[in-house]
Amino acid sequence: MTHPMLTRAAQGIAAVLLLMAAAMKFMGDPGSIEIFARLGMDPAGRYLIAVVEMTAAMLLLSPFAALGSVIATAVMCGAIIAHVTELGLVVNNDSGRLIGMLVVVLVCVAYVLVSRRKEIPFVGETL
Amino acid sequence: MPSTFAVDLEKMSRTANTGLVLLLAVFGAAGYLVSFYFHFVTVALFLLVLLNLYWRYGQTSHTLLANFGFLAQTRYIVESVGPEFRQYLFASDTEERPFTRVDRAEVYRKAKGIDSSEAFGSLLDFDRDEIKLRHSFYPVDKKDLEPFDVAVGASRGLDTTFHIRRPMMISAMSYGALGQNAVRALARGAKLAGTVMNTGEGGHPKYHLMEGCDLIFQMGTAKFGVRTEDGLLDEDKLSALATLDQVKMIEIKLSQGAKPGKGGLLPKEKVTAEIAELRGVPLGHDVISPAHHIECKCPASTAQFISRVQHVSGLPTGIKFCLGRPDEFRTLVQEMKRQDTLPDFITVDGGEGGTGAAPKSFMDHLGLPLFEALPIVHRILEDEGVRDRLVMFASGKLISPGRQLEALSLGADVAYSARGFLLALGCIQALQCNRNTCPVGITTHQPHLQRGLDIADKARRVANYVGALHHDHVELLAAMGKSSSRLLTQENVYLPTGGPVSPASQELS
Ligand SMILES: Cc1cc2nc3c(=O)[nH]c(=O)nc-3n(C[C@H](O)[C@H](O)[C@H](O)COP(=O)(O)O)c2cc1C
Repeated sequence: MTHPMLTRAAQGIAAVLLLMAAAMKFMGDPGSIEIFARLGMDPAGRYLIAVVEMTAAMLLLSPFAALGSVIATAVMCGAIIAHVTELGLVVNNDSGRLIGMLVVVLVCVAYVLVSRRKEIPFVGETL
Repeated sequence: MPSTFAVDLEKMSRTANTGLVLLLAVFGAAGYLVSFYFHFVTVALFLLVLLNLYWRYGQTSHTLLANFGFLAQTRYIVESVGPEFRQYLFASDTEERPFTRVDRAEVYRKAKGIDSSEAFGSLLDFDRDEIKLRHSFYPVDKKDLEPFDVAVGASRGLDTTFHIRRPMMISAMSYGALGQNAVRALARGAKLAGTVMNTGEGGHPKYHLMEGCDLIFQMGTAKFGVRTEDGLLDEDKLSALATLDQVKMIEIKLSQGAKPGKGGLLPKEKVTAEIAELRGVPLGHDVISPAHHIECKCPASTAQFISRVQHVSGLPTGIKFCLGRPDEFRTLVQEMKRQDTLPDFITVDGGEGGTGAAPKSFMDHLGLPLFEALPIVHRILEDEGVRDRLVMFASGKLISPGRQLEALSLGADVAYSARGFLLALGCIQALQCNRNTCPVGITTHQPHLQRGLDIADKARRVANYVGALHHDHVELLAAMGKSSSRLLTQENVYLPTGGPVSPASQELS
């Protein structure tokens, strides 16, 4: 059903996008600051999420990609909640660019999650 | 009587499954109304709810999960970490198998050179049936003890007669079962300690030879290292190997205690170019060890084969087996006598012996335990009048000086151990020898796991272990009033079953 090459490609794409997102948060990109300010989480939450994103990206490139995909999926779910409940789909007049990125990452990590489900610690054997 | 304390698992899990969804809602609301930080928990719960739905309605292979949901998974988790948990938290000091913590601690201490005296009293269960050594009213002075010296090959008057000067040798473990660091640490330790190491059936002993210790070359049923393409003996290869200075004896393996009557298979994935070369087998094929030597089909051909190896190698040559039927052994000895050809030594491996990998049923149910087999073999050899023409080695959990002297009393001349030395190398009994994942780098070929096994440091431990065993051997002998282990007899052990051996096994022979 899933193809190992595709899984690897998905891991790579997701890791790059996550690293980019984390870098922007670390460097204090005004757009990120504004978003986290609106969520009432700036700057602590911004750094926290950046660290989590970086961890997930690195795991995705390691033999523990399954764990990385779980973490990344969780972060993306959080982001979706943020957009739906607080931010709206179009942020800072970006005509949905941010949401687009989010969907790309989510699709990639979900693909990794499904194809590597057997490797997830503790529950993998049952999936 | 109503069981008031019984936990209603079904109700509990129903509550848990609903509770999970409610909790998700609560945290979702809190994230929305109070602080977005609550959503950290929301997403975790969300994923858990999804997973739980899949477990309950999306899969059919796990009944418990389908019936009870995520609570049942805690059971799988607890079960999967159970062995480690029990080992660290609950197993008592005399409970673990194959070696209890008391057994292992003694080896660790000897290997590290720490004083192994104990206080207050023995941790063993004295009311159980335990074999004990008998001491004497009249201990001998340690100064009057003869140095340990067992000559192998002397009865044939060989120039190559080898003198074993330590009561404990390293039993067969192949390069293949062990990684190269472990082999080298053992070999270097053997050299330091002045004892002998068996190469195991892994073929040409490349790594064993690096450290300069005395070696017993083992010829397994596949004759790795000395085979022709169809698995017969290649005499040229054997005589070439026998000229190596370090190779002192040859051991023909007929069977081993952990899997008597069974060969082995090394899957082609694990056959590296190096292993193929050392073993003398083609690359890209499974490597199969037959259940017996092709040449040995009956007593006559077995005796002939032994004598052929003796003559080709010119070295003291023996056989290793785990005893099954005493009558078969007696017939073999009688046939050897008829052909006037006896092995120079016999290794008796107990059914409790270890291995890199063997089917569970073979490990658990095939082959006589060492302390049953030894007296039988000894008596058959005596009955046939050939006991003094050969030397007997014994293996099977002989990792402590007490058990070793018990074996020597029951008929053996020298003790042999495999796993005792693995413990000295730092084995923690993780029971993963067959998976290439040995956490202490002994039975694995993975470089990152072998990295931690420092050859020089572990060699020292191996040597310490042999030294401490020899020390205790002397002390115990003196207490038993014997000036040499050659004088030990069955009278020197107390067997709780009453007789010299249990009646059941006597009947058979
Ligand atoms: C990892 C490992 C590998 C072994 N490989 C061999 C082998 O190649 N040939 C053999 O005859 N016995 C082999 N054995 C069996 C031992 O030589 C020995 O007979 C047995 O383990 C009993 O001794 P012990 O209780 O002191 O370990 C192996 C045992 C272990 C634990």
